[in-house]
Amino acid sequence: MRHAQGNTSSIRDQLEQEARHLYPNLYQRLARRRGVKQKRSLRWQDRTLLIVAAVLMMALLLRGEPAFAQDDIEYGIEWSGGTATAVNTQIGIEITGMVARAEVTQVFQNRGSDWAEATYRFPLPEGAAVDQLQIEVGNRVLVGEIQEKQTARRIYQKARNNGQTATLVEQQRPNQFETRLANVAPGEVVRITIGFLSTVNYRDGEFSFQFPMTFTPRAGGSNQRFELETSPRPMLTSWADTPSPASTHQLDLGISLQTGLVLSKIDSRYHDVDIHPTTDGYHIFVTEQLARTDRIFELTWVPELGTAPQTSLTTWEDGDSVYALLMLAPPLQDEVAPQPREVIFVIDTSGSMEGESIKQARSALLHGLAYLEQDDLFNVIQFNSGHEQLFRNPVMPMTAELEAAADYIEGLAANGGTNMGPALHAAMTLPASTDHLRQIVFITDGSVGNEHDLLLQIGEELGDSRLFTVSIGAAPNTWFMNKSSIIGRGSHTHIGKLDAVESAMADLWNHIQTPALMNIEVDWGMDSEFFPEVIPDLYAGEPLWLYAKLPSQPREVSINGLLVDSPWEQHAQPLHSKGNETLATLWARSKIESLEDSRLFGTDPQWIREQVTDLALDYGMLTAYTSLVAVDKTPARPARQNLRSDNIPSLLPAGSSANATGFSATAAGWKLQLILSFITLAIASGLFFFPTGLLGRKSASTRQPMAPSTPPCRAIPTA
Amino acid sequence: MRALSHWRFAAVFITAAFLSLNALWIPAKAELAQWLLERSWNDIQAGAEWSPPWPWADTQPVAVLSVPSLNIRQLVLEGDSGRNLAFGPVLRGSTSSRDLVISAHRDTHFTFVRELEVGDQVSIEIAGEKRTYGVSFQEVIDTTHNALVIEPGIDRLSLVTCYPFDAIDTGGPLRYVVTALPLPGET
Repeated sequence: MRHAQGNTSSIRDQLEQEARHLYPNLYQRLARRRGVKQKRSLRWQDRTLLIVAAVLMMALLLRGEPAFAQDDIEYGIEWSGGTATAVNTQIGIEITGMVARAEVTQVFQNRGSDWAEATYRFPLPEGAAVDQLQIEVGNRVLVGEIQEKQTARRIYQKARNNGQTATLVEQQRPNQFETRLANVAPGEVVRITIGFLSTVNYRDGEFSFQFPMTFTPRAGGSNQRFELETSPRPMLTSWADTPSPASTHQLDLGISLQTGLVLSKIDSRYHDVDIHPTTDGYHIFVTEQLARTDRIFELTWVPELGTAPQTSLTTWEDGDSVYALLMLAPPLQDEVAPQPREVIFVIDTSGSMEGESIKQARSALLHGLAYLEQDDLFNVIQFNSGHEQLFRNPVMPMTAELEAAADYIEGLAANGGTNMGPALHAAMTLPASTDHLRQIVFITDGSVGNEHDLLLQIGEELGDSRLFTVSIGAAPNTWFMNKSSIIGRGSHTHIGKLDAVESAMADLWNHIQTPALMNIEVDWGMDSEFFPEVIPDLYAGEPLWLYAKLPSQPREVSINGLLVDSPWEQHAQPLHSKGNETLATLWARSKIESLEDSRLFGTDPQWIREQVTDLALDYGMLTAYTSLVAVDKTPARPARQNLRSDNIPSLLPAGSSANATGFSATAAGWKLQLILSFITLAIASGLFFFPTGLLGRKSASTRQPMAPSTPPCRAIPTA
Repeated sequence: MRALSHWRFAAVFITAAFLSLNALWIPAKAELAQWLLERSWNDIQAGAEWSPPWPWADTQPVAVLSVPSLNIRQLVLEGDSGRNLAFGPVLRGSTSSRDLVISAHRDTHFTFVRELEVGDQVSIEIAGEKRTYGVSFQEVIDTTHNALVIEPGIDRLSLVTCYPFDAIDTGGPLRYVVTALPLPGET
């Protein structure tokens, strides 16, 4: 073939030369379309291809499988005892003004033939103050009391060994709790009710209340089992398979909403609800059959225009002291002009972000870019085991830069460890620009183990920057995300699903583009104890809540601050109303939070422990050092019968790439890939043996005589 | 024309090579990891507290699973996660539990599980002792409605892998569970 070509080349050469002179464009088009026959240019392309292939293969081979810095705490019930047990959950929430009082009732049944002990782990909303525990066993009702943690454990242990029914509720982490329940008789139904107080969020004219739900065991349809032989390993079948005494549902959630405001909208973001107006508010029920209760429950409500809350002071007197709640409403957005900013987007691309989370994060970032203004600067930093900066220095959001950033973001993939520290360090320690306010938008699921080190680092390195955290995924570490935004003097936004990205980012942007009220000071009067002690910046659309304990009823409280370098002042008179006894608990909670936070800045942990324990015992609150314990006076379990054990893992958060609970995904699927590669190989060999293809050959033979052949190498104006 | 087809051939061939390497990398990695794990297992046997098989690993071998009749010896990793499953069978739960659940991919480490018959011996070296079990039960479970129950006090070993064994796609809800109980005379 090649030989034959060589022979004809001299004649072709001349023809080519002519053609080239006559039709330079045609010639180039032909050369391009035909591909290139010459040995040298072929080699050039081959080489490129080979290099690309080699690089791809190297990348593949070197593709690390780095560490996974994720703490996989599973919520759910763990029984030491009966083989088949069930749990049903009822949640009742009463929202009055800004305070939510919630009662979570869990119904356990020991369906085994042995006496059981159960451990049940569950999350509660951020900053929940747990203060009630009640257990119903048969027709006995036990009420829990707050005890120091170790004392509570001893009481529980003793009761457990004596065969008495007992419950212990402990706080494991700021938003994680564990219930232990000892000595449940075979077949017995136990109802545990935990009560807590929490505050409602308010931002940009919208109130919201969130309730984490990943602890609920799943429900399902019929149970299919393919038995080969009798199983000696007890399998826990889901609750829905058998009728339960309490309800056929897994979870009942009802909210009574009394806001005192005229509402224009009530919305449940992730669940279907029914809303019924009542005389003093609304009743809201989750109507879904709870096919999947692996998502956070979030209720939002918007007051009619003009009825949004103003700066207000509520108080409650218990005889000795006065507890006060000051809600600071920020200045209206149109009172101040936006200022130029330097926005550093930091995005988590670690392995835990895999699946839905990285999609949400990418989308959030892209939305973020769209909000940049002409005089702003921006940069993008991604991190997993290491970190990478898109631009060496922050750049103006010109078309080219925005396109480069968008391309970069589209290509982000989740893989690797979660090494947050260095990325945050890079973002916070960039040389400061004098006329730009630096805002770090930090997008992550927050699944890290070294939360405290990171918070400390943020406190130390923040300088004049502001940190805004955007938590991603169905079950992010909101405690950490919230705390870091508080220490970072910014705010926290949660994005739970892909179609919530746009509105969440719009909120965040509205929020950060107007300057905040800074250096706020509140004059509470003499001998007052107020929290938080350092008042964060006040952003447009997001009020602050301050709690204080005062010796007497205040006449007026004055608030001072700086708004774009000019002084700002407001006054609030107390609204004395009934039914505010929750203020005492809320004040104690904020004091405990403030004490706990002081640990980050080097306060003696032992001292904190003592302070918190005293406070918690006084105000009856569950904390890291106090637990709720309840014991039935009469022994239930005969001494000679033993307690035994099982484990029900709960649902994985939605959007995680794992697909089975209780079981790992145990198929690597490489065979499918191999088959695909064989198919491709077959096509390749087809191309090899029938190089021009049947059709190609025919047309080639007809075209051959008239087509001006490809010119020789030297004639081709390659590169 | 010839050059064009060269091109096509090269492109398709390289794609094929890439795909097959990508596919084969999974079993290769599974094999390679076992070899690295063997080293860190030896370190641990020699008294090391923490010996990750590769520098960025967050897991280490905690047990050796062996089936003498099938000539199987595999190092079991701590922590049941998708990532760890790529390198070896993983132990669910704590090493101090008597009730052991070990999972692995049906198309890498646990290909042998389908061949296990009732009565086969399976042994495991864990927490400084060697335990021998006999296979007693096999079953297929639908994970959408069932969860595994672990009773830490009960001596038992379960091997879990995906089912059906030869399914082309991944991510199905069925699991094949082989449970082995201690052999009489063993403790």
